[in-house]
Amino acid sequence: MITNAQSSNIHMDKKQLKALMRRSDRPGLTYLAAWIALLAITGTPVILTAGSWWFIPAILVYSGCFAVSAYALSHECAHGTAFRTRWLNEAVFWVTSLLYYEEPLHRRYSHASHHTHTWIEGEDNQMPYAPIPLTFAGWVEEILGLGLYWHQTKMFVLHSLGIFSENVKRVTPASELPRMQSNTQICVAIYLGLAAISMAAGWLWPLYLIVIPRVLGGPVMNAFILMQHVEMAENQPNIVQSTRSFRTNWFFQFLYFNMNHHIEHHLYPTVPFHALPDLSDKLGDQLPPPDPGFISTHWEVLKITIRRSLGRNDRSAKIRQAFSDDLTGAQNDQSVA
Amino acid sequence: MTNQWHDACATDDVDDEDLITMKLAGQTVAIYNTPEGFFATAGMCTHEDESLDGGLVMDGVIECPLHQGRFCVRTGKALSAPVVENLKTYELQVRDGRVWVKV
Ligand code: FES
Repeated sequence: MITNAQSSNIHMDKKQLKALMRRSDRPGLTYLAAWIALLAITGTPVILTAGSWWFIPAILVYSGCFAVSAYALSHECAHGTAFRTRWLNEAVFWVTSLLYYEEPLHRRYSHASHHTHTWIEGEDNQMPYAPIPLTFAGWVEEILGLGLYWHQTKMFVLHSLGIFSENVKRVTPASELPRMQSNTQICVAIYLGLAAISMAAGWLWPLYLIVIPRVLGGPVMNAFILMQHVEMAENQPNIVQSTRSFRTNWFFQFLYFNMNHHIEHHLYPTVPFHALPDLSDKLGDQLPPPDPGFISTHWEVLKITIRRSLGRNDRSAKIRQAFSDDLTGAQNDQSVA
Repeated sequence: MTNQWHDACATDDVDDEDLITMKLAGQTVAIYNTPEGFFATAGMCTHEDESLDGGLVMDGVIECPLHQGRFCVRTGKALSAPVVENLKTYELQVRDGRVWVKV
């Protein structure tokens, strides 16, 4: 079952779509420069306050800015849509994937499966590690990213040794596995090399500006990722029913590279991030209204998981949500309320 | 009938830096109009059988609409993941404003 605009019965004029797909380096470079400037502005207090209590708020602010955009930019580069110039796209893809903690080629193939089989159990390799529908315990697991850390660490070890799971082999051509192995070895060498140099030189900045922020910013980043499909309909071909778009303020849109327009992104993944608001306007009433802001939508999701865990009514009137499923997830959701 | 020349379309039918796809002799064929000229390849992506019709033509490369795998339109060569298998190419001639493809 392939999930795309056609399977979702969404139509768009070909000429309009082609105009939106056009690539340019400028928006990507502008975003990249703005992100680096933001990291410099929020990262300076982290270094200056190390050892004092002010370090805690400073690193919390920096971590959110670091982790959400590292994920979002790596995702955009996985699609090859961040920049028109290919080497620039691939260079930024490598750096941001390293920051995100995933080998780039694996990231590209697993994400391809997510687009081909969006939110289809057993076929979409980027579904949550916790069983869906999520209980509160599953929500905690997903927000802390425990499954992701474990899964990625295991992959760094196994792929370096040339051991690939059936799941990985299902979405990766056999001819690409040696490249995935050597890429993983390069990633591991970079991580271990940086750790060794830092210890030898007594550097603390990689810890303060990369490692701790990736862990501390992880929950915010995971909240953004979880919102994309959680509580939506599984195992059916319509992207509008499996995917959520939501409103948010300009700052979060910037950090998230406009991926709050997530239905639009899944319908037409060739459209670059900077054209997504325009795509959203052009699709007009073919799309459902976006869910409310990032925090309010996520708050609803959290309340749903708590109520579900307590065996209470798990419906929310405030966000789009698939019709009820049982707790084992055994019954497929087919539609969205 | 295979290996025959087919009158596929008028040159005006394909916009600059764009493509159209059509069935010729039972094959889905993509015809590209690029600054370097017209080219023809198989019209379905080799990764997951997606039509290239909604793809982006840029700098002599067709990018698949589903996962943005890229192929050279002149040689059919697969250029970047997730595509690894080349596209079949077809001989093409432009005569009197018409595009002819040998399929
Ligand atoms: S179907 Fe074409 S790149 Fe995946």
